[in-house]
Amino acid sequence: MARKEVVNANVQSDKKLRTKDLIFAGAFGAIYVVLMLIVVMGTGAIPILYIGSPFLVGVVCATVYELCVLKVRKFGAALILGVLFAITTSSAYLPGLIIAIVVALLAELVMIIGKYQSKKMFLVSFIVFNLNMVCPFTNLYFRRDAFLAMATEYYSADYANTVASFATGWLPVVQIGLAILGAAIGVLIASKLIKKHFERAGIV
Amino acid sequence: MDLVFNDTDKGIIKIDPRTKFFMFLASGCLTLSSFSDLGTIVFTAFLCVILGLCGKPVLALKAAGVFFLTVFFRFTMDASLGAPKVIVGILSMLSTAVMFSFPMILSLIIIVKTTKISHFISAFQAMKLPIKVIVPFAVFFRFLPTVSDEWTGIRKAMAFRGISLSPAEVIKHPWRTIEYILIPMLFASINVMDELAAATMARGMDVDIKRSSYEEVKLKAIDYILMVLLIAMVAVSIILGNMVKGGSTI
Repeated sequence: MARKEVVNANVQSDKKLRTKDLIFAGAFGAIYVVLMLIVVMGTGAIPILYIGSPFLVGVVCATVYELCVLKVRKFGAALILGVLFAITTSSAYLPGLIIAIVVALLAELVMIIGKYQSKKMFLVSFIVFNLNMVCPFTNLYFRRDAFLAMATEYYSADYANTVASFATGWLPVVQIGLAILGAAIGVLIASKLIKKHFERAGIV
Repeated sequence: MDLVFNDTDKGIIKIDPRTKFFMFLASGCLTLSSFSDLGTIVFTAFLCVILGLCGKPVLALKAAGVFFLTVFFRFTMDASLGAPKVIVGILSMLSTAVMFSFPMILSLIIIVKTTKISHFISAFQAMKLPIKVIVPFAVFFRFLPTVSDEWTGIRKAMAFRGISLSPAEVIKHPWRTIEYILIPMLFASINVMDELAAATMARGMDVDIKRSSYEEVKLKAIDYILMVLLIAMVAVSIILGNMVKGGSTI
């Protein structure tokens, strides 16, 4: 009886996140957020690139995400990444925060379907995960006037007007489309890079 | 690899890590929902004073210098009517972005530069948060400076080999640029992560029992005073910012 419990405990701890996995998730979270900030700030001065940042971030950050989930291969890696992302980018606006976390959970769900083994499902899960790039813009969807006032104050009236001309009803649809497209391209790059560099080095 | 954010023993005042984290959230609120110049300036000056009191006076002076130069630059930009509009527009845009994101960056610096990671963990454990929630956050804050170090290192190494990161090159060879930056950065970071994991293992973080700590963990009077001050400042500057929305700024 006692022995049986011990065996069960071991199985459990293999499925649960260990401290090591938590460290990996936190560290990859830092890399992800820094890269995203570099991409968004590097392009943010041009309104159309700012609107299209879900695409660019998807292309650039896919490799970081894929490495993180491939290294951990348990429930929680994508969730931690999503929570860290949400807190640093959309903590000032609650709906955005909630959407970001829900999206991370959905990405976990995709990986659960692949039982944390299927490579295809790992790749697909980033396409879901990248939808969180829409969250910083929820301000623009739901509180348009406040956001434009902020853009006027931060940048200039011209900038705000350009953003406003894009910010019509179909903007969320376009940005979700861009996020999916960017993630799809990013995932292709990620799988190539991981095969070329990290699998050969025995890291994943 | 040491498990220390940075040395704190020299500081005049000691602030609880929870207060510092609260400071980060407050500055996030300020950056994203207030449009008041005055509020941002007062808040940043306050953060600089705290950074100085926490034992980093030189860094605090540097940060204050950069910030007030940026603010000065921004107002001169607004006042220069004769210059070409495009240049003024771009420069004032940049200086405004720096100015408004400064409180967030500064509060991150306060967390990273003046907190021991063990202190950080034990403070949040005192809040009865499970260790599985705390560790990713601690590592996240621990890793931000590492990533930016790697970033500057990689830029230097690439410049040495004649690979440029100028916008023209990035547009010409986007895939190559991604590969040249990402791969070294990830490899270097993965090495650091492995060392960090080994260090935590050696410190017995993997065991599921309550950890004791040498650090005294308690919110003191100064923490409560700081929190009240922070809330008051953010509230006032949000109100100020909303009052002047659309009109001239204070």
